[in-house]
Amino acid sequence: MTLVLDIVTTAAILFAVSAGLLVVFGVMKIINFAHGAFITLGAYAGLLVTQAGLSPWLGLPLAFIAGAACGAVVERIVVRPLYTRALDAILATWGLGIIIGQLLTLGFGREVQFVQSPITGTLTVFGEAYSAYRLFLVLAALAVGGGFALLLEGTRLGLNTRAVIMNEDLARGLGIDSVRVRFITFALGSGLAGLAGALITPLSSVDPAMGVPWLLNAFMLVIVSGASLLTLALATLLLGGAQVLVSTLVSPILGGLTIVVLAAIVLRLRPAGFAR
Amino acid sequence: MKRMAAAALAGALVVAIAPFVLDGYTANVLVRSLLFGVLALSVDLLWGFTGFLTFGQSAFFGVGAYAYALTATQLGVDGFLLPVSLLLGLLAPAVLALLQGWLSFYHRATPLYASVVSLVVPAVVTQVLYSGGTFTGSSSGLTGYDMPDLSVPQWLWLCGGLLVLLTAAAAVFVRSDAGRLLVALRDNEMRCAFLGIPTTRLRIGLLIAMAAVAGLAGWLYAAYSGVVAPELAGFDLGTQAVIWVALGGRGTLVGPVLGAIGIDLTSAYLSGSLPFLWRLLVGLAFILVIVLLPQGLFPAIGRLILHRRRAAPVAPPALVPAATATARARGEALAVSDVARHFGALPVLSGVSLRAAAGELLSLVGPNGAGKTTLIRCLSDGTERSGGTVHILGQRLGSLPPHRCVALGLGRKFQTANVFDSLTVAECLRIARATIDRPSPWRRAGTLALPDAAMEVVQATGLDRLLGEEARLLAHGQKQALELAMVLALDPALVLLDEPTAGLTRSERLQIGGILRRLAQDHGMCLLLVEHDLDFVREISTRMVVLHQGRMVLDGTVEEVAASDLVRTIYAGEPH
Repeated sequence: MTLVLDIVTTAAILFAVSAGLLVVFGVMKIINFAHGAFITLGAYAGLLVTQAGLSPWLGLPLAFIAGAACGAVVERIVVRPLYTRALDAILATWGLGIIIGQLLTLGFGREVQFVQSPITGTLTVFGEAYSAYRLFLVLAALAVGGGFALLLEGTRLGLNTRAVIMNEDLARGLGIDSVRVRFITFALGSGLAGLAGALITPLSSVDPAMGVPWLLNAFMLVIVSGASLLTLALATLLLGGAQVLVSTLVSPILGGLTIVVLAAIVLRLRPAGFAR
Repeated sequence: MKRMAAAALAGALVVAIAPFVLDGYTANVLVRSLLFGVLALSVDLLWGFTGFLTFGQSAFFGVGAYAYALTATQLGVDGFLLPVSLLLGLLAPAVLALLQGWLSFYHRATPLYASVVSLVVPAVVTQVLYSGGTFTGSSSGLTGYDMPDLSVPQWLWLCGGLLVLLTAAAAVFVRSDAGRLLVALRDNEMRCAFLGIPTTRLRIGLLIAMAAVAGLAGWLYAAYSGVVAPELAGFDLGTQAVIWVALGGRGTLVGPVLGAIGIDLTSAYLSGSLPFLWRLLVGLAFILVIVLLPQGLFPAIGRLILHRRRAAPVAPPALVPAATATARARGEALAVSDVARHFGALPVLSGVSLRAAAGELLSLVGPNGAGKTTLIRCLSDGTERSGGTVHILGQRLGSLPPHRCVALGLGRKFQTANVFDSLTVAECLRIARATIDRPSPWRRAGTLALPDAAMEVVQATGLDRLLGEEARLLAHGQKQALELAMVLALDPALVLLDEPTAGLTRSERLQIGGILRRLAQDHGMCLLLVEHDLDFVREISTRMVVLHQGRMVLDGTVEEVAASDLVRTIYAGEPH
């Protein structure tokens, strides 16, 4: 039973971490290598709130805002000029990741620090005591997914975004300001990365390199799911589930490789991944 | 050539005197930087020349390093064991590269996917090293093993000499006729495949060679430094190598090598006093170069100093007639039976059957969306069709990938001009001949042999006066003619042409029409032509086939088809 809860909560964490990357990939067709750095940024936003003695809940919106603001600046200065050079854009975001990481190191030092969790203790689910915060993360992931679905399906911006995803040239021809859509997307995606950073830190700790290990998993999950939140949810459940199983039944080190290796094999056999 | 030899000599000279002028610390670090230079060189050949952005060359460096460290701890490296260890340092990375290549490169793989796999490989290798217990030393790595008895100056000469040698060899190779294949692969992989070049095998082969080079650098690193750790195989070193190459100037060989040495040496000095600031500056410089100076620093500085773009262009080769080996069989060139293609539930082609003999010029007409291009695809790529059989010159097409289909004797001209933009006209034609006249890996041939048909196109369209011109600078009509000449350079028995006159002027069109007719009449080729322009088709075809909504509706002589009610309805919009 604990295993099932582990799988569901792990999937939720992976979903929260990957959602921002997926949104950017879907609209802009680039992989944002600075995603890991934005996750770290969000984690430090949470740390600041803890250090100031404020309610840990405040860390979540603050992390989102920090990520989004940083993403907005980056989009204007670095990503926009590289619009027609997709592979170079990927490289440039990797350079950004280095810069953000080093700035955080200069500001906060290299040591590992801890953040206060907004929810402590355990809940009893199906007769098992289980970490309440991990369960809260499932709700958070659902909220992120639901919020995005609402944004895409229910607003004018969402409609424009879907048009840009499907056919950017046609969308531009119809008078949609695709530059603005891309800008908002990148800021949103970065904000989500920040939020994810603040969400995951109570489970582990904060240090300037913490985003990098998440990046590779998130990256593989996004490539495997194409550009859809639903397939991302499916991919996190399947591959995240496999990771939990391998980690508990075989070895944690192999578990850490499960997602990347499985995703690479899935893509080799079926280039579209889990997308239809 | 002269400039290259001078550069190599200068490099060798610098290496020779370096131990006498450098202080001990710098010399010590420089050995490592030189080996990183070798790593950067391998990244540049893969990324700068063939366009494969790899973050994973560090995996091979690490495997090479552990090959030395493990043989030294387990067996020792005395006497004959040293070459055994070296062999392992070359072979183990090569085997890993074979695996990575199989995963990364296949028919229709995307460049992004190959880059993704290049991220996975170092992650897997580091984790394996971490989990190796006392055998690999886990996270603390291995140290205290036997090392070759060499002084620091000797190491400098060894590693510096190796770097100069490898860089010079790479420079000779990329300028040779075979080396141009790498650029062709980067410019247009699909065109390569449809010229019969086994692109997948080529990419995997190059990756294996570069893995061995990176492995050798790692092996030497372990032998020199006396300590190895899992980080050597990690993603971080892999991305650093990409940074060196980007900063130095991708596709220049010397630039990346200097980039690696410069950055690694400086960081050795600065990382003591300003560790984070230094990485910050490198990151900043990296972004600036990517955004503002994608060519990198080395070419930019070179232009500033030399005030000219490049040395005098190499004289283009002389054209000579090639022996057309095959006395063409006068039999059936193409037999298509019941071919179908559907995307999901949507049928695009169904029940298409067709025969064509040598010497025929068969035109395929039909409105937009009738499935003409899809049919061409099904005939030239065995993996495309959903049903039915295709025979080319009596041989089954089966599910062969494009380059194997081409080997059966077909050539395919694409709808849009599909040439190699950064190669010259002569180089494009030579790539087209690569499967027939094996290009030399170390020199440029003085002559270029072309079969009669290709020669005729080249001469008739004036391309013979533009042999040294880069293909991207050609006018649209010239590009179309060049692609046709490239296809004919294969000496095909069956030529598939998808709207070869699209976007051409009337006079160019007449010229191409005349050439096509002669290809069928005089050279005995079988041509299958997709066209929209009914007048043009009527003038040159021997037979016409009409496709409509994915089905073949008419097959007859030009007069029969052009006069039919159906064609008039489709083309003139007359009511039924």
